[in-house]
Amino acid sequence: MAIVKPEMKSFIWLETPDGSTQQVEEEVAMFCPMICREVLQTGMGSSKNYAIKLPQRVTTPVLGLILDYCRFHQVQGRSNKERKSFDEKLIRLDTKKLCELTSGADSLQLRPLVDLTSRALARMIEGKTPEEIRHTFHLPDDLTEEEKLEPLRIRTNDPRIRLLNRLYARKRKELKIREKAKCMLENVEVEEEHEHVDDRSVDDLLLFINSGDEKDSKGVKSSASGAPKNKKKNRRRKDHPKGLHIIENGNHKKETDSLCSSASSPSKISKLLESDSPTAIMHSSDFDFDDELDPAMKEQLDREVEDFARRLNSVWPKRVSGTGMGSLGHDRRIAFAPLSRSS
Amino acid sequence: MGHSFPEEVLEHVFSFITSHKDRNVVSLVCKSWYEIERWCRRSIFIGNCYAVSPKMMIRRFPEVRSVELKGKPHFADFNLVPDGWGGYFYPWISEMSRAYPWLEEIKLKRMVVTDEGLELISKSFKNFKVLILSSCEGFSTDGLAAIAAHCRNLKELDLRESEVEDVSGHWLSHFPETCTSLESLNMACLGSEVSFSALQRLVSRSPNLKTLRLNRTVPLEKLSTLLRRAPQLLQMGTGAYSAEPRSDLYSNLLDAFSKCKNLNELSGFWDVVPSYLPAFYPVCSRLTSLNLSYATIQSPEITKIVTQCPNLQRLWVLDYIEDTGLNALSLSCKELRELRVFPSDPFVVDANVSLTEEGLVAVSQGCRNLQSVLYFCRQMTNSALTTIARNRPNLTCFRLCILEPRAPDYLTLEPLDTGFGAIVEHCKGLERLSLSGLLTDRVFEYIGTRGKKLEMLSIAFAGDSDLGLHHVLSGCESLRKLEIRDCPFGDKALLANVSKLETMRSLWMSSCLVSLGACKLLSQKMPRLNVEVIDERGDLDSMLDAYPVEKLYIYRTVAGPRFDMPSFIRTMAVDQQPNR
Repeated sequence: MAIVKPEMKSFIWLETPDGSTQQVEEEVAMFCPMICREVLQTGMGSSKNYAIKLPQRVTTPVLGLILDYCRFHQVQGRSNKERKSFDEKLIRLDTKKLCELTSGADSLQLRPLVDLTSRALARMIEGKTPEEIRHTFHLPDDLTEEEKLEPLRIRTNDPRIRLLNRLYARKRKELKIREKAKCMLENVEVEEEHEHVDDRSVDDLLLFINSGDEKDSKGVKSSASGAPKNKKKNRRRKDHPKGLHIIENGNHKKETDSLCSSASSPSKISKLLESDSPTAIMHSSDFDFDDELDPAMKEQLDREVEDFARRLNSVWPKRVSGTGMGSLGHDRRIAFAPLSRSS
Repeated sequence: MGHSFPEEVLEHVFSFITSHKDRNVVSLVCKSWYEIERWCRRSIFIGNCYAVSPKMMIRRFPEVRSVELKGKPHFADFNLVPDGWGGYFYPWISEMSRAYPWLEEIKLKRMVVTDEGLELISKSFKNFKVLILSSCEGFSTDGLAAIAAHCRNLKELDLRESEVEDVSGHWLSHFPETCTSLESLNMACLGSEVSFSALQRLVSRSPNLKTLRLNRTVPLEKLSTLLRRAPQLLQMGTGAYSAEPRSDLYSNLLDAFSKCKNLNELSGFWDVVPSYLPAFYPVCSRLTSLNLSYATIQSPEITKIVTQCPNLQRLWVLDYIEDTGLNALSLSCKELRELRVFPSDPFVVDANVSLTEEGLVAVSQGCRNLQSVLYFCRQMTNSALTTIARNRPNLTCFRLCILEPRAPDYLTLEPLDTGFGAIVEHCKGLERLSLSGLLTDRVFEYIGTRGKKLEMLSIAFAGDSDLGLHHVLSGCESLRKLEIRDCPFGDKALLANVSKLETMRSLWMSSCLVSLGACKLLSQKMPRLNVEVIDERGDLDSMLDAYPVEKLYIYRTVAGPRFDMPSFIRTMAVDQQPNR
């Protein structure tokens, strides 16, 4: 316990890592939480022999700066302007010293000084390039090119892409057949369908891959509401979508039947498609494999494709609202027609 | 720095470095900084959701509290990106819901969000605070109900310009009576009525509410009720600004506005009845931002408003303001930083609106702090552009949209090359530029040589040949986003600048002359790019290599090709077989 003699000013003895000791005015030293704790808990610091051993990072020069800080700020009655001015002068150090000061202040738990110096360091980092920062702080350039980029997962010869392309090709062929049968229907404005045109291609695909699994027809569900909304993107809806209509939905069968009496029945064509199982596609002679895949590879691809389908399924959201297919009609007239204000 | 600099202290230093750019730089300094930085990164911005996968993000940054994602290319705002393109939020939320239990903020732009996604947000994050859905779609008010019901500490719900399916206006009632944390609510984009009593109660019990943007269906009569309950508001968006002329209504409104001493931003103003406009005049002197882009009021009214707003920094307005209004603006609003003038009727060739290049010239002269311009008009001259450039070298964003494609300088009938050339020459800090009017390859030469700080460039109906594109790709060092439509740019420029594409976030080209074969070749040369060919016209598989593709979207990615596309979009595989 430090004995305080009223007529004498109290000092606290501190020892820096190099072994040298010094006495510091009590009120100044106690400004540092770590020193304060040491004094109160262990009673050390009352004499030279019992000097408080300061942490490694508080070297003599660092201690000097810290004590300057404490000596200034522990005085009551200073204005904010004065304090700020002092702080600004204090941190005008070279990078090395500033780092040492930050480090030392941290080990003495002197929060305000840590914040002050940390902010100063942050300002030295902001706006610089990595090279400049390395130079300023003497840091090694030890990141590899790859690490700088993030590990890549792309395989240059991804068989899945090829397979999906094949499946798409197959799908397209089927669609051509349907298109011929439904030639008259392209001009019919069947609103609910517009939003599903894109959906259905992939859903058909999924039907191919996971034959008969009910889950996969989730995406084919018509949207929750069919009523047209008065939205800014209204214009798109009014335009006739170009491209193919894929009519899967039973609701439209009547309409198609009545309009296209000469064409072959849509149900026949649907049946034709539904009968295709994934294996049928894989082994079908129509199926165009440019590269010869051995059976083991095929099996692996089967598994990968199924995995794919599951993933596609999980990323394919339920279509709550749809808008018509984008049409180029209106766009051609002017360069930009703003649909949103915050574009 | 030395080996003795402790990690926690370095982490503390990093906590004062918040900009994404600087954080990214910090992570590239050295191995130890990379490691420390990734553990203390709290906020992530991903400008292209397909550039990286959710798993990668989570693996690298385990302690994130705020995620910002962008999906569709910018040209989606002009209807050029077909439905079904992608930008799905679900894969992200499905991973984040497991990996980031402490997530507080999600900000999405141009993404497809679903009710399931919103529900997952509402149930996965105990401390969820901020949801911003900008130009998103795919969800309904049911999803909003889930957010309202389960996010106990919700501070911000902002649906700016999203397309929301209105199932029921009662979603607002799902905010529990105990919810008092709301600071910002923007429901301006909703089409149908919300339960007003629920809204009123919500506003009454939200003492920290700073931003409230109503939708069109909230009638003017009810506005004063709300304002009175929230006099602390900073930003307010009115509903329909119309009612039968009634003096009691008017005085109520005037009184309510007068009591809002902190209001500095106003928007909304659908269906304006001009006689009610003076009711908000008490607020004008403090206004820093005013959005009148839905207000179909004429120049005299707009002028009257604007001349009372000396502190105005941002003005969004329709071309009804005309040159006279802009002139008044230039004299009264010396603090103006951003001006956006939207077309009241873009599809009409000769609108009866006297807005010309002179209005913009006036503003460029009078408003010294003007940095950002978006200007739709029907005529322009090189001389005007040069004057604007000389007046305002501090411009950072200049987007000129002359409505008619390939419109020349209407006085000289020359291309507008020299005008835009002057812009890039004088405005040395220009970061964003949109071109329009008649333009030759020359303008691209100017842009390539002078536009060194240019980050985003939008081009439509311009140029003569591949040389134009080549100038841009080879010259603009800071280019991140390039979007092009209806220009005669083909394979050569692209293939000559392949490595440039990896330094950019994305390139969009539609109705140009890039062949399928070039796309394949590009993909082979640059495996870290996704080269997406979008073609709704027919069969991509039987398309010949020589054939020009309809649309093309190229972006760099570390996540490899994506597989969530509709059939009319293909990512060129690196080993694509040629179709001859």
